[in-house]
Amino acid sequence: MTDRGGFAALDPCVHCGFCLQACPTFLATGDEADSPRGRIELMRAIEAGELSPDDPALVLHLDRCLGCRGCEPVCPSGVGYGRGLAAARALITSRRGVPPLARAALAALTGPGLSRVVYALARALRATGIPRWLAGWGRMRFAMGMLGATAPKVGGGRWRSVKVGGGSPPRNLHHPPPTSTTSPVLLFRGCVMQGLFSHVHDATIRTLEVNGYAVREVPEQVCCGALHEHAGLERDARALARLNVAAFGDGDEPIVVNSAGCGAMLKEYGHLLDPDAVGFAARVKDVTELLAVRGPRPGAPVDATVAYDPPCHLLHAQRIAEPPEQVLRAIPVLRLVKTPDAAQCCGSAGLFTLLEPAMSRAVLAPKLETLAETRPQVVATGNPGCLMQLGAGLAAAGIPAVARHPVELLDESYAAAGYYA
Amino acid sequence: MRLAFAFSVYYYLMPRDVASLVDTLAEIVGPRHVRTALPERVTYAKDGLPTHRRVPGVVVLPGSRDEVIAVVRLLGALGMPFVPRGAGTGLSGGALADGDAVLIVLTRLNRILKIDARNRLAVVEPGVVNVRLSVAAAPHGLQYTPDPSSQTACTIGGNVAENAGGPHCLKYGVTATHVLALEVALADGRVVELGSPGGEPWGPDLVGLFVGSEGNFGVATRIAVRLLPVARAVRTLLADFTSLRTAGEAVSAVIASGIVPAALEMMDQSCIQAVEDSVYAAGYPRDAAAVLLAELDGAHEAAVAADAETIEAVLRAHGARSVLVAADAQQREKLWLGRKKAFGAMGRLSRDLVVQDAVVPRSTLPDVLETIARIAAEYGLTVSNVFHAGDGNLHPNISFDGRTPGLRERVEAASAEIMATCIAAGGTITGEHGIGLDKLRYMPLLFDGDSLAAMRAVRHVWDPEERVNPGKVVPVHACREWAGTRNAERGTRNESPDVRSDFRVPTSALET
Repeated sequence: MTDRGGFAALDPCVHCGFCLQACPTFLATGDEADSPRGRIELMRAIEAGELSPDDPALVLHLDRCLGCRGCEPVCPSGVGYGRGLAAARALITSRRGVPPLARAALAALTGPGLSRVVYALARALRATGIPRWLAGWGRMRFAMGMLGATAPKVGGGRWRSVKVGGGSPPRNLHHPPPTSTTSPVLLFRGCVMQGLFSHVHDATIRTLEVNGYAVREVPEQVCCGALHEHAGLERDARALARLNVAAFGDGDEPIVVNSAGCGAMLKEYGHLLDPDAVGFAARVKDVTELLAVRGPRPGAPVDATVAYDPPCHLLHAQRIAEPPEQVLRAIPVLRLVKTPDAAQCCGSAGLFTLLEPAMSRAVLAPKLETLAETRPQVVATGNPGCLMQLGAGLAAAGIPAVARHPVELLDESYAAAGYYA
Repeated sequence: MRLAFAFSVYYYLMPRDVASLVDTLAEIVGPRHVRTALPERVTYAKDGLPTHRRVPGVVVLPGSRDEVIAVVRLLGALGMPFVPRGAGTGLSGGALADGDAVLIVLTRLNRILKIDARNRLAVVEPGVVNVRLSVAAAPHGLQYTPDPSSQTACTIGGNVAENAGGPHCLKYGVTATHVLALEVALADGRVVELGSPGGEPWGPDLVGLFVGSEGNFGVATRIAVRLLPVARAVRTLLADFTSLRTAGEAVSAVIASGIVPAALEMMDQSCIQAVEDSVYAAGYPRDAAAVLLAELDGAHEAAVAADAETIEAVLRAHGARSVLVAADAQQREKLWLGRKKAFGAMGRLSRDLVVQDAVVPRSTLPDVLETIARIAAEYGLTVSNVFHAGDGNLHPNISFDGRTPGLRERVEAASAEIMATCIAAGGTITGEHGIGLDKLRYMPLLFDGDSLAAMRAVRHVWDPEERVNPGKVVPVHACREWAGTRNAERGTRNESPDVRSDFRVPTSALET
């Protein structure tokens, strides 16, 4: 028996088609070649050698897969679509290499030296306020919108922290709360999160501390490798995984992640480095998972209407549905609204929004229509790509709402409650 | 490699008029919606019964009714065969096209054109996904009642082609009962309207003729369907049994009670395991030999509750080990979701699957189920049963690993024997999946030459050149199959020499 890698995960597919309507790209084109079932046929064909992995038509449709894995939780047979896709992409990349734009984006966003310069320049540009002003449709303007959406407190003041009950300060101001024990956790910082969303890291640290966790830094950590894996660079992803496994050591402290994409990747290390990283993968927790275990502790009221938009890599890949909503419900007054297509991908999907802009916008469009009807003030989502994609989309469509990470809202609630005083 | 070779042959031998066909198609639907590359065509080579595989010559995805008609007209002018296809969830190989044919994919025609709540009807395009119509009608307290298990994926156009059934068709009737009128593009591109707004046929019942014609009569471009009120009172019962035979007998007992359940479904142990291992685990007892899922519905709470009590008593009296009544809508939905996703969960048993579809007289269910189990044991195969028991509509699922040498042949042989058993029991070879490609070989077991010729003659009225979905339903091309039929008395079934059966071969259903 040869080692078939991720392709074996496709074996349970019996071609029933129950995945079709869960696939954002199939909904956009109606084309079987853009559906999970059709793509599984393509993956099986390249594994069997019936189709060449550098056939442009085949590559087109596998490139156009968001990798959102929305097909996995609806599959009655439990087909491991994501694993099959990773194997197929690795095979494709081994044949055609990484396209120049993808290679440039990878270097700019994850390269240890270059990315620091890129992020510094991006932050400087962001500080001018120009990106937000330029936000719109079209490749450049959408990119500007994405950068603008990373700013802390963008468009702040649309919602307010309010004090109910005659403005008396909330009780129980000491932290950590006396009821919980302090447990150590290690923070995974990532690339884009560290470069453009360090304010979310700050919020993560503060809100975790209020809930009885002591956050420790791990200086030797590197990029999680998710974008490399998506690009088919399995060897690079594996090398990064090894570095991270070494950096986070053999302890049993949870590894906290606030980026759904990184979290999903870190949880996959068990399969990627099988069996060396099974223990590591089990330690990885999304920040909302840890918060939900402790309640989380309620904060001060925030008067805002919030639509929660679950990132695919949280909902589908990690199967985490409840904890983020639990975090948002811990904020008094905040009105959590549900949109019918919330579980659908926003079209961000890592580098996808840059590499396949047309499909990415087509996938985003129906979601923006729903949001324009629902009119929330905040769209909450726990992944940097989704925050940027939704933020840019909202700005371009002229919808007066901003995209924020759930812990940012909790952080604001805690700040208003005086927990950080 | 084989495929790549086939493609290069196809490409170099591609006649000039095919190249110009592609250009003209692109002019009609836009170049993005014409698919000629091999990998793209390969993704359309199967439907929900993946043992059949045909790579279409060209795939075209029109975006509107006008585009469909223009495409059909063009193909008519060129004399090219074509096959209409919805979501490709069919289970008889019916929506597959050969290399010399154009596959017309209708998924982009997915608009609900009208919901007329007062007159309880809807007009839809053929690519509308079944469940989406019910979702859209829900605010009016209405639903589109036929609910095939694939309803979250299959299209109403496909349902019309196959005359699709579903659990709730026991009480409410299959697709044909719910289609009021149709707009059809005929083989040559002429457009006809069938039926009437009220659903009564004006003249011959051409809607009835078209529904279930498996894409042989043309392409439905607009479909008017009946909507029914969502039942105000519902009870869902789950009864479990320690033997398949007892469960089969209980089905007849339920029907004999005089109450028509909205649905009466059976799942056997192997199917229960697959579902319970999946995300759709419904809490079916894993140790049961079989479960029956029965639903009672109606307008009055008290009446439905009384019916449910009667049925519960009948089930208990006929050997149910326990009967669970769903406590709320949530539990009811869970019980149904498990049933409806069962087919898709079969991949947990083995990597390859063949699902069969046959109808037998309800009273023969216990015997037929036992015979199927015996056939499975003889061939050393895993057969799981999940089916519309109230209608006697069986779906034996044969799980196997196609990589094992010789196994596919064994599966085919077992399938044939199961079919022969069902025919011998007085049944027929399809309840809802259609003949397509898969059941062609069984047609001569059921019909004599005159009957098949009559079917072919009806087809010629719609499509004289046999260009729409060629080679399906009526086995006309294989002379051997014709030779296999006996010109027996009209209406009598044919005996096949290789039928091994415990049953008396009955004569015609018309026998007096």
